[in-house]
Amino acid sequence: MTTLKLSVLACAAIVTGLMSCGKEEVPAPPPNPSVTVTDSIEVPFSSTASYTLFSFKNGAVVANSDSISTDWDFGLTYVNFIVNSHASGPGNGGVITEIGLYDTLSLAPATGYAYDTTTNATQLAINNGLTTGWYNYDLTTHNLSPKAGLYFVFRTADNHYAKMEVLSVGYSGYNGPNSPPTTLIYKFQYSYQSDGSGNF
Amino acid sequence: MVKNLLNIFIFTIAFFSSVSAQLKPSQDSTGKLLDEIVVTATRTENKVSNIPLPIQVISAKNIQLSGSQKLIDILQMQTGLVIANNPLGTALQGYPNPFGDGIQMQGLDPAYTLILVDGEPLIGRNAGIINLARIAIGNIKQIEIIRGPATCLYGSDALAGVINIITEEPVKNSASFQTHYATNNTLGLTGEANIVHKNMALELFANRYSSDGYDLDKTIYGKTVDPFIDYTANAKLSYKINDKNKFTLSTRFFTETQFNNYQIFPESQPEIVKGNTVETDASLFGRLEHKVNDRLTFIGSVYTTSYSNNASVFLQKNDSLYEKIQLADFLLRPELQVNIGKNPSSLFVTGAGYNYENINSTRYAPVSGMSSGYIFVQKQIQLKGKTNIIAGARYDKNTLYPGQLSPKIAIAYKLKPNFILKGSVGAGYKAPDFRQQFLNFTNSLVGYTLLGADELSQGLYMLQKTGQIDPGINIAPYAHNLQLSPEKSIGVNAGFDYTINTHAVFMVNFFRNDISNLIETYNLPFNKTNNQAIFSYMNLDKVFTEGMETNLSYNFNRNFSLSAGYQYLAAKDKEVLQQIKDGKLYKRDPVTYVTTLVTKSEYKGLYNRSKENANLRFQYHNIFYKTTVFITAKYRGSYGYSGLNGFQDGSSVYDDDRETVNGFVLLNATVSKKIDSRWEIQGGIENILNYTNKLLMPNIFGRTYFINVNFKLKK
Repeated sequence: MTTLKLSVLACAAIVTGLMSCGKEEVPAPPPNPSVTVTDSIEVPFSSTASYTLFSFKNGAVVANSDSISTDWDFGLTYVNFIVNSHASGPGNGGVITEIGLYDTLSLAPATGYAYDTTTNATQLAINNGLTTGWYNYDLTTHNLSPKAGLYFVFRTADNHYAKMEVLSVGYSGYNGPNSPPTTLIYKFQYSYQSDGSGNF
Repeated sequence: MVKNLLNIFIFTIAFFSSVSAQLKPSQDSTGKLLDEIVVTATRTENKVSNIPLPIQVISAKNIQLSGSQKLIDILQMQTGLVIANNPLGTALQGYPNPFGDGIQMQGLDPAYTLILVDGEPLIGRNAGIINLARIAIGNIKQIEIIRGPATCLYGSDALAGVINIITEEPVKNSASFQTHYATNNTLGLTGEANIVHKNMALELFANRYSSDGYDLDKTIYGKTVDPFIDYTANAKLSYKINDKNKFTLSTRFFTETQFNNYQIFPESQPEIVKGNTVETDASLFGRLEHKVNDRLTFIGSVYTTSYSNNASVFLQKNDSLYEKIQLADFLLRPELQVNIGKNPSSLFVTGAGYNYENINSTRYAPVSGMSSGYIFVQKQIQLKGKTNIIAGARYDKNTLYPGQLSPKIAIAYKLKPNFILKGSVGAGYKAPDFRQQFLNFTNSLVGYTLLGADELSQGLYMLQKTGQIDPGINIAPYAHNLQLSPEKSIGVNAGFDYTINTHAVFMVNFFRNDISNLIETYNLPFNKTNNQAIFSYMNLDKVFTEGMETNLSYNFNRNFSLSAGYQYLAAKDKEVLQQIKDGKLYKRDPVTYVTTLVTKSEYKGLYNRSKENANLRFQYHNIFYKTTVFITAKYRGSYGYSGLNGFQDGSSVYDDDRETVNGFVLLNATVSKKIDSRWEIQGGIENILNYTNKLLMPNIFGRTYFINVNFKLKK
């Protein structure tokens, strides 16, 4: 990481050098570009199971016993997401549901972040409604698929920024049409900006 | 597309002219092909050539020659008609499809075609589909198929068109008996007796049909189609009181028992359940025709029918009741029709009737009655023997939704005696069904709740009262019953009938159906305390279907005939097209995870619609051997299936080849041999090419062999 930082600084230096003699103004690249990571987590296929908590900073699942902390950014169970702030946690988290292409978002919005006002899973900041929510559910095949062109911008529990897109929701422990699966496998990509800016 | 159609058109014409050039018309004429008498189009008897609508007749002879016992197999061999499996049923992935399959017409689902028997509707749709096995085919005189909205005469459901099954009218004493035996231990026994005495005619008909069913997927416990046994009995009495009065009384009874045996997973543990499903359909129809004079006729009728479907399954381990589902549907319809004027040149038909329908189901709110009144008018005009005009309208007033006015106008113009141009525009509607209005159903396994629009208020309050909705949620803004509007359509049909010679007719029909107010499920903005959703119904979508149907019939001579048909179809959701136009519809490749905008060319239209389908019928009779060969083939082109092989790209529309199911051909052949004037033997093979698709086409078993022994006594 240090090497990366150094090379970025070197680049920045070169660009600054160029700028000083160039005629056109070239915007400076972010000093600390975020890196897109693809990860997957497994959660029980149950709307009553406790939330699986995830930290963007550590890129890892956080033990549920740490729920009263700012160590996690979002929680997930079934198709319900919670964000670490207000009714859901002690952090300062927030989320914006964006429509468009994940890759084209280069700057996190400064305002407009929604948060959970209740622990009631039916009124969370991230809409989990069956037709209105972030996913498509096929009543006939029971397939869950994240809506294409929909992703989230998070303000993390400790005031950093990340963007995240659910790529697929798979099943395991599926016995056939008359019984639900036991586990949902969430595959998602995210970019976390560790420097505190909203640049991606 | 236009170019394609044009090519096909030119090709067909070319093919045709070459055939007609090579073959001299034979002496023994088979009669003009458009002289068949039909009743469905105008509610009075008319020649096909006088009807300015796309109409198709399946004759008893064709049904008999096919040797088939199943109405749906005969229907699917017709131009533009394909079998549509209910997607809810195919989703059960090899388990018996409880919703069955129906006929898709002009790209519209089975729920949008009205099925009539002798002009009166069948009731008891299961998820929109009428089980066509309820109609035995042994005493069908002909089947009339009208495309395009026929609501102006028949009311609700006739958006795509009407299939009217006309049963035989006894004309002389006769008796017949048929034994049918086929693969899967399928046994059909049919008996019919016609007694004509003075002014009385009585027809008695009975059929018993049973099968062991079949299993397309041995890896799943239980069969794809469970064993069943059907009984049908019909009786029709007609009494000509005098020259002016005729009375008809007919009754129909059908019962099917299916022996269920399958595996379920309550609490994720496998359990075997066994039981049966009993479907019963009965009707009584009385009709009195009073002819005042040549120009005035009164027809009074009363039709009543009841349908029930009761399923009970028990856990094998302890014989305890696992699930019981009951549905009972009842309809009473008195009607008066008046015919004034001369048919077909200036006939005016008017009528009025009243429907009382009552439905009871374990899944519906208690006792749901619905009554409606209707009135219709229709005027036929013939100008200079060249132009035929039929203009009509019907007004339906129902207790539950606003009155519906459905007009229609159809014009035929004889450009030449053998070339008739036809065009029609009509409005159709489909009333919200009981399920959409009164359903109150909670899925016991997953726990979601479905509430009919008319059940929304009471259902929500009840859920909250019983603690299934959090008391903190303000349900008041949502807890009012929504009045669903009927689904509406405007159908346009235009084309021509070209009688090339006394043996050959070529027909083309272009169609477009614009449907609005399609009723879809939506979920309420809050969940239950078990975190499951609550669904209800709402008028949402707008779709269209358009395309072309063409048919060529060629009776080379009495012994050799050919018929070929082709349909081109496009069916799309207007909302989706708008989203694509606005750049709001995305798809995400499930392999690369790359997200892109869906383009207009990527959008292939509604799922489960084939762009192309074609059919062929070939008939050859050898006089010397008294043998007839009858071959039918149906090609169903490729179509999209949502979630095929688990494919999901997050767009919810058909926009990827990985969702495409390949097309297939069904080929049947039957040989009939007359032993003497009374006995006939038939042998046949259905699905010769052995096509199967256990998931998406559970209705198709592989190759099937059958043998029929027919006996007929005529006096």
